[in-house]
Amino acid sequence: MKKVMLTVSTVAALGTLLLSGCGSESGSSNAANTPGAGNAQTGNSANAPSNAPAADMKLRILDGNVGGKTPEETTKFAAEITRLTGIDTSIEKPASDYDQKVLTALGSGEKYDLIELSDLGKLATFVDQGVVTDLTDFVTGSKVLSDPTVVPTSEWEQLKDKDGRIVGVFNKFQGGTMPIVRKDWLDKLGLQDPKTLDEYYNVLKAFKEKDPDGNGKNDTYGLSTADIYDIQAFMSAAGVKAHYVMKDGKRTIPYATEAAIPIYEWFAKLVKEGIMDPNFVTNDSGKMRNLFLTDRVGMVTYWDAWVGMFNNTRKQEDPNTTFNAKALSSIPGADGTVLMRRGDPDFWIIPANAEHPEAAKKFLEFWHTEPGIMLGSLGIENEDYTKEGDAYKLTPTGIEHNMDHGVPFWYNQNVEYPFGKLPGVQEAQDLVNKNATLELSLPGWPDAEKIVKNYALKAMSGQMDAAEAVKKMHDELLGKKLIDE
Amino acid sequence: MRLLKKYSALYVMMVPVIAYFLVFAYYPLVKGLQTSFQDYKLMGDRPYVGFANYSAVLHDSLFWDAVVNTLVIGGGILCFSFVAPLAIALSLNEVLRTWFKKAAQMILYVPHLLSWVVVGGIWIFMLSPDSGIINMILVHVFHMKPINFMADSGWARWILILLATWKEMGYTCILFLAGIVSINPSLYEAARMDGASRWKQLIYVTIPQLSNTMKVVFLLNTLGILRIFDEVFILRNPTIAAKVDVLMMYTFQKGILEIQLGPAAAASFFVLLLTLALTLVVRRITRFDEV
Repeated sequence: MKKVMLTVSTVAALGTLLLSGCGSESGSSNAANTPGAGNAQTGNSANAPSNAPAADMKLRILDGNVGGKTPEETTKFAAEITRLTGIDTSIEKPASDYDQKVLTALGSGEKYDLIELSDLGKLATFVDQGVVTDLTDFVTGSKVLSDPTVVPTSEWEQLKDKDGRIVGVFNKFQGGTMPIVRKDWLDKLGLQDPKTLDEYYNVLKAFKEKDPDGNGKNDTYGLSTADIYDIQAFMSAAGVKAHYVMKDGKRTIPYATEAAIPIYEWFAKLVKEGIMDPNFVTNDSGKMRNLFLTDRVGMVTYWDAWVGMFNNTRKQEDPNTTFNAKALSSIPGADGTVLMRRGDPDFWIIPANAEHPEAAKKFLEFWHTEPGIMLGSLGIENEDYTKEGDAYKLTPTGIEHNMDHGVPFWYNQNVEYPFGKLPGVQEAQDLVNKNATLELSLPGWPDAEKIVKNYALKAMSGQMDAAEAVKKMHDELLGKKLIDE
Repeated sequence: MRLLKKYSALYVMMVPVIAYFLVFAYYPLVKGLQTSFQDYKLMGDRPYVGFANYSAVLHDSLFWDAVVNTLVIGGGILCFSFVAPLAIALSLNEVLRTWFKKAAQMILYVPHLLSWVVVGGIWIFMLSPDSGIINMILVHVFHMKPINFMADSGWARWILILLATWKEMGYTCILFLAGIVSINPSLYEAARMDGASRWKQLIYVTIPQLSNTMKVVFLLNTLGILRIFDEVFILRNPTIAAKVDVLMMYTFQKGILEIQLGPAAAASFFVLLLTLALTLVVRRITRFDEV
């Protein structure tokens, strides 16, 4: 018996290791007593427009993008916010595993005044979990934020909860994803911008077979992606939108319908003929970007901002480069509709247990004014840039930071880009503004996504017949009650 | 009381250790157990819901898929990472050149020092269908078609089992070699005097004498099989997820990605109970108490 007890206690101790990931860090009796019992917090103190003086205010921020590139720079960044706003600011910017850090912080009752998020599905969960503060009155009462030239009124729809309350404030303008092509390769091979699925095929095949980089080797691919991120541009040809689509009040996932079959078959053909990078299943976006920047692939699907970053990176390496990345539109469907993906917004929430919500509101207004935008984009004055009169000049540090300290693009139409946008970005953003829509991530999407990706990738890579993959995908989603029809 | 006074200094020295386990081990354990019975929200009320979280987990087909994957992959790792290092250790024991033996041990041990992030990156590259060395050999030497190992669900479990075996082989091998070295040389001398060949010495002396080490290694490996996480997290991708998502991945997904901390804690306790059951079974089968 003694030995059995010894064994039990040994294994119990071992078990604690299993549980420490979610048990110890996620639970806290303190957190249970925070004021956010229930959903989004309401009340005068939380909703009143910010009018308190900045002096003696403190602000504690947790974010994943805003700040410097190193912890030291982030400390300087926080000091600059303090200088510009008078709010004593501290920023915590984890180097990695940001989502886990947020979850751990919230679960353990850590008190932040602002938290940056970029996932609407997670926002909906946080609303259900009583984490966020209702900001409706603050936003509508704020002279800065309610100004449609600062943030277009329609954009706030993205940050409303199911009851129509505004629960976040934008950090920056978020774009969308699209095919990005080597325009210089197109020109070299005498090809036009592709507009149909067949034209895309011809272009990609030419990139594979006609040695567009001119090194005499058959070492280029037509297209690379990072799993099914993001094939929306091609699915658009079949009129198929990614994620959930509500149809007559029922949940559907168009990627799991027969309409998507021809597109999966098209990809399988690309893979079979060696036109598509065979590593697309295991690629992360970094690998995909590297292929594009190193002349290994002629087209990738990625963010609008990266059109400019690709061009700028190569230009900095070689000022005489002919490299020219260009954004392409999605393929129109049979009815002419173009479907493009808009990324989830990047936004701030004020947690329900924030100790200094007034300071957070002051900051949010500041963040959408010119000094805030310049700080979020160019960086710290006299560190990242200098200003003589109205003219800005980037320092070597500023050039290295690529005008991105969390806000590469912004909504405020009254604040001009001091150096313009990087080459190709405006055209890419025009496509996003014209056609891109948000994807709908309902509860259960993480489980559904696993099923969709599994079969979609099998069909695309030719491991499974497309029709069979779609049937299995649909049946499995239906069987697990993740779709309604 | 008299004994308490007599050994008071020893008891005082134990306080930090006891405090460590109470704070970092048993408190989280109790807290996790409490969470598993709550509708756990990050903020606000956290009502108790009885066994609802356990029921939700038991009725989730993904949980049972994860159980199957864990048992298959964990079982595979358990077997291969026991047999392979044993075979290597026995082989190295036959090597007479010390420099070769030491060099081999060092080379075998290196993967154990690397994190799964590094090992995963290396092998994803080596198994790449276009530029990976494995596929280059298959294509250019054996004239086979390239295999997309990391995207083929038929290969997925094997890849995980073999990589885990490869990574930990050196460490386990050293344990076995230490056991072999400690075998009384007079046993071999007696066997030789009785005319035993090298093979018979191995079968009748080395392996029986190594049984206690083997029991310890097997039990330690058993304790770990339900906790596989790092390698799956690094090596998985959507096409093989259904075949490799193990219990700890399920817990991670529920707790961290979906923020369903109640079901995640309940799933953790199932892992704990399964580990307890497996350990007891292995102890009974191997007669570990006789070690």
